Amino acid sequence: MREDRRRLAGPGGALGRAAVRLVPALALLREGRVWSGLLLLAVPAGLLAVAVLRFDRLVPFVVSGAMDQRLAVLTLVVGLVSSWWMAERGRRRLPLEGGAGPVGPRPRDPLLRAFLGMPTGVAALVVIVLFYLTALLTPLLAPFDPAMQGDLVTGRLLPPSRDHLLGTDQFGRDQLSRLLYGARISLVIGLVAVTVAVTLGTVVGAVAGYAGGWIDAVLMRVVDMVISFPRLVLLIAIVALFQPSILLIMVILGLTQWPHIARIVRGEVMSVREREFVVAGRVLGFRPSRVLVRHVLPNSLAPVVVAATLGVGDAIVVEAILSFLGLGVRPPTPSWGVMVAEGRAHMLGAWWLAAVPGMAIVAVVLAFNLAGDALRDAMDPRRRT
Amino acid sequence: MTETPYRKPGCRAAGPGRTCRMAMLLLFPVLLLGGCGDGGDPAVRALQGLPEFCREVLPRVQAHQATLTQPSGERFGGTAVVGAVGEMADGINAFSLADYTSAQHQTFLNLMTLVRLDESLGFQPYLARSWEFSPDGSEVTFHLRDDVRWHDGEPTTAHDVAFTFLRATDPGTAFPNAAFWSRYREGDEGVEVLDDHTIRFRFQPHAEVLDTWRAMPIMPRHLLEDVAPADLRSHPFGIRCPVGNGPFVFQERRPGQSWSFVRNPEFPEALGGPPYLDRYIFRVIPEQSTLLAELLTGGVDLYVAPTPDQALRIQEEEGLRLLDFDFRSYVFVAWNSRRPQLADPRVRRALTMGINRQEILDGLLMGFGTVADAGVPPFHWAHDPEAGGRVAYDPEGAAALLDEAGWRLEDGGSVRTDAQGNRLEISVKYNTGNQQRQDVAEVMQAQLSRIGVAIRPEVLEWATLVEQINDPVRRDFDGVVLGWVTEFRVDDRDLFHSSGVDQPFHWSGIQDPELDLLLDSLQVVMDREAARPLWQRYQERAVELQPLTYFFYPRRLAGVNERVEGVRMDVRGEWVTVAEWWIPEAARGSPGEG
Amino acid sequence: MAVFLLRRLLLAIPMVLGVATLVFLVLEVAPGDATARYAAPGVAPEALEQMRRNMGLDRPAGERYLRWMGAMLRGDFGVSLSRNEPVREVLAQTLPNTLLLSATALILAFGGGILLGTLQAVRAGGVVDRGISITTLLFYSMPSFWLALMLILVFSVQARNVWDWPFWFPASGMVSLDHGFLGSREQILDRIRHLTLPSVSLALVLAAGIARYMRASLLEVLSLDWVRTARAKGIPEWRVVVEHAMRNALGPVATLFGLYLPVLFSGTVVIETVFAWPGMGKLMVDSIFQRDTPVVLAAAFLFALLVIVGNLVADLLHALLDPRIRPAARAR
Repeated sequence: MREDRRRLAGPGGALGRAAVRLVPALALLREGRVWSGLLLLAVPAGLLAVAVLRFDRLVPFVVSGAMDQRLAVLTLVVGLVSSWWMAERGRRRLPLEGGAGPVGPRPRDPLLRAFLGMPTGVAALVVIVLFYLTALLTPLLAPFDPAMQGDLVTGRLLPPSRDHLLGTDQFGRDQLSRLLYGARISLVIGLVAVTVAVTLGTVVGAVAGYAGGWIDAVLMRVVDMVISFPRLVLLIAIVALFQPSILLIMVILGLTQWPHIARIVRGEVMSVREREFVVAGRVLGFRPSRVLVRHVLPNSLAPVVVAATLGVGDAIVVEAILSFLGLGVRPPTPSWGVMVAEGRAHMLGAWWLAAVPGMAIVAVVLAFNLAGDALRDAMDPRRRT
Repeated sequence: MTETPYRKPGCRAAGPGRTCRMAMLLLFPVLLLGGCGDGGDPAVRALQGLPEFCREVLPRVQAHQATLTQPSGERFGGTAVVGAVGEMADGINAFSLADYTSAQHQTFLNLMTLVRLDESLGFQPYLARSWEFSPDGSEVTFHLRDDVRWHDGEPTTAHDVAFTFLRATDPGTAFPNAAFWSRYREGDEGVEVLDDHTIRFRFQPHAEVLDTWRAMPIMPRHLLEDVAPADLRSHPFGIRCPVGNGPFVFQERRPGQSWSFVRNPEFPEALGGPPYLDRYIFRVIPEQSTLLAELLTGGVDLYVAPTPDQALRIQEEEGLRLLDFDFRSYVFVAWNSRRPQLADPRVRRALTMGINRQEILDGLLMGFGTVADAGVPPFHWAHDPEAGGRVAYDPEGAAALLDEAGWRLEDGGSVRTDAQGNRLEISVKYNTGNQQRQDVAEVMQAQLSRIGVAIRPEVLEWATLVEQINDPVRRDFDGVVLGWVTEFRVDDRDLFHSSGVDQPFHWSGIQDPELDLLLDSLQVVMDREAARPLWQRYQERAVELQPLTYFFYPRRLAGVNERVEGVRMDVRGEWVTVAEWWIPEAARGSPGEG
Repeated sequence: MAVFLLRRLLLAIPMVLGVATLVFLVLEVAPGDATARYAAPGVAPEALEQMRRNMGLDRPAGERYLRWMGAMLRGDFGVSLSRNEPVREVLAQTLPNTLLLSATALILAFGGGILLGTLQAVRAGGVVDRGISITTLLFYSMPSFWLALMLILVFSVQARNVWDWPFWFPASGMVSLDHGFLGSREQILDRIRHLTLPSVSLALVLAAGIARYMRASLLEVLSLDWVRTARAKGIPEWRVVVEHAMRNALGPVATLFGLYLPVLFSGTVVIETVFAWPGMGKLMVDSIFQRDTPVVLAAAFLFALLVIVGNLVADLLHALLDPRIRPAARAR
């Protein structure tokens, strides 16, 4: 045991030992686990940098901050602690000399294991986590109030500079701050829309699949109807006819996504329904709802997770398109979609106004799609590469 | 654009092989491409798929036009293409006169009005050679030209004018601007055709009688006489086959894409003669970024109303020039004085003072315009920017006024409250798809928050907004950002006259006896010098009461390709000199090319 | 087969009616009506009232719905409230344009997607596979209007004004203004030039899904016994893939056709606006804003019909391409 310690601490001696104790990720690095080491090093380093650079905001946020500001501080603390903990856990699992110990974190769940074996999937997941982390930390990160307008004559459409890293928009607002606050709107829109879609889709799909018969027929006709209708047109109609608020847009986006999920769930439920353990449940006289919730659904959820992952990206893109049609979230709230849509008026002059939020959308949607793909492949043994 | 019937390609004989199926699949769009091909004689093509009325009328126009000799000269020839964001929704149907672009094409290209305006906005003869008023001002007699023909060869006569008047005033037509004739005697009482080229109208004396006849194009009686008034709005005449008498003859409309007009060779020399252009095309391109790309790549010669930001870009571009000119529109916020927090004129004044309108104008409109304080735009002869004293940007003064009105800022608070603890919160609605109004709302919110007023911008789509603000019972708004193109004859009675407080457009809800008196007299005092002090006082009163916060009178912008010469624009509109536009021979390109 | 078709078509009737009813209800609940665009000071409220009467908007909703339904069943879609023309005319002007655009986009998307998917499957796991999959997903992740505007900036403005390409792509419209004066070959070329950017913008978004499907489907086929047998017989790999495996892999991909039609029609809404393409997508959005109920209803009806027919075609294609599947087995 003592030997192990020494080996781990390496030639650095006492200083090195202390360093590894404090920053366990260093051990991972030295053991050749470069990627996880770097990641577990970079995240706390970034968080620490934020904490130091925005130290002036920390105390007021905790004492008299709004919800999102306190949440940002909490995120900072939790992020620091958990990344240290994860690295420490990784260090402890490092192979012992001559031993045949586990090579790294090896989740027992085969699905998760397969997923973690896919580099694109893991990379996408990391990007997603970073995006959400950024969104949560926004009150600490943003250099300016996103609604604060500059001088309309001298301060608008400025190119990127030291003061405004991404320049300013048509009202002289700091584009970086808007991008950061916009992340919260866009990312939340995706999540809520998918939650609505998954909830509704799962219920309808499960009922249809489990009940069968005329209930199934009627529900599936409704699903067909909603699917066969051009979704954007329906969205436009509903958003245009009622006042566009963030909540409405989120819910409506979800309401147009659910049929796909319902179809998937129905298919899965129908195949699971005939498996022995479910039949057994029925024979034993359990209520159908109990069989459905306890036994059928959990076994049908995997494809839904994939669909949901893909759905988040989809919702973010559709929100952007709604903004293009003038039906996005209400100003001055920034969302990436609104920013791209408004920036397009300046595409020949201040091109970065549309380009940067556009790239942010592409990045996060791509990440969700890649993650969804990897998840799908992980579930399908034939497609594992 | 008709499709030839779908013919199966020859591979049928080869049996249902895979290659054949694939080939058919691939061929589908090619067939469609060819199917809607526009080969053949344009004249014949234009008739396909048209309603019966048009199939009857258009050949007559073509036949008549073929008998005319085209003028010759250095400047004659070429095609100019104009691009705009909005479709000409009402086309050349004067009975449905509503949108600006349609009205412009009606009055300057395809149809004629009795009188027209010169550069200094004086009335000039057009279809009417001359006119005289009766001594008591209750009659006007127009003497029409006898050399104007409809494009199908029929002469234009006083009967056409009488027909236009009778149909437009017929309630069944639902002519939107029926207010033109609100002081005319009804029906046959109001009009008398003395002979083929003389017509007389009777009315209660009022100001700017001629302006109505500047705005209302004359429609052809011989083609539309038999149409029931209720069917006039949707009659094919308006958008499929208009027959006018103006300098340009309707040629073709591609729905949603373009309208083309060609020269009318027999347009009277006394009125400027036939236009120089062989062909004029109006293109609809709904996305402004695309429209700018088309101007830059030569797809359009003239971009109507680019955004101010785009205007700067157009100025920089070689080969393009930017025109900017006075316009009849203004942008404002109407405050709903029925709401307790907006009932006090001091509060409304403070709101105006708290907004830096000059900064918005300089920053967002690139200085193309002037700050407005009352609804009498700069083109108007009675416009006086100093009437009532300008309301300058003065946040301290605004804060003091709000304090005085009982809205105080608590220590450390960000929103003012009154004695009962109500917060000074004001929702401001505006419609989607109008960048200028959105800009105004967003800047207003930011600037007024600095003096403790919480503005909540709410964007609604137009039809919804109209319903919420116009319903006399609901009036579901605190403030609303609007803007429109006024008539040359400014008449704000619908906005402010207390008799109309329950009418749709009385958004402010203010009732002021002095304002009523002024508004009424402005419409009846015919002599301008006598009316000038009234206009003066009207503008002062508007500044005192602040029923609206006027923002600015924007100047109208247009980007023009330098190859088109003779393009002059002023407050009368983009198309006022369209008959004088010409393209030097070297710049004309291949026949018909834009 | 005939029974299958009949059954499907019968099932479609309540669906189409359902879509139409839904649309009618939404528009009915919406505030405002088609006279909104005339609402400005100077316009007499009586004129607006009369306009409503002329448009038949003064009748109760139920009556209007039944009337519309009855007229539509006789093939009469009524008169547009915003465009001053019979709806039939309005649709006749826009539907062919949308069909042309969508058909081209579909062919590009399926052609490109199948090709890329095949490449991916053949090189499964390699750099080409990864590269294609990420690139197609990249386009899939872009907001379509953004992509479209980028394409205009590059292939229209840049290409003409900076790079001086002889065949730059026009930013908008369906044909050049001198189209009528061109020879027939130039006319087709002219149309293709105008069609390129909008159809490519639409196709790029769809290609990702098709490529993915094709890849998976082909991989599955390639792992089957008879493919191994074919390989063992010494048939060249490309012939195994192209002549044997691909055909069998195309079946599932064909079903995507039906699934993608509504997606495509949604896409046209944006693309038609950006490229000033006078089609149904833009028509429908404009008509919603203008409360032009007859046009919206008719367009929704047509869309639903097209989607149903598209699904039917997809199923038939699937059945044709994949002999293992008999339609009866697929009918629910």
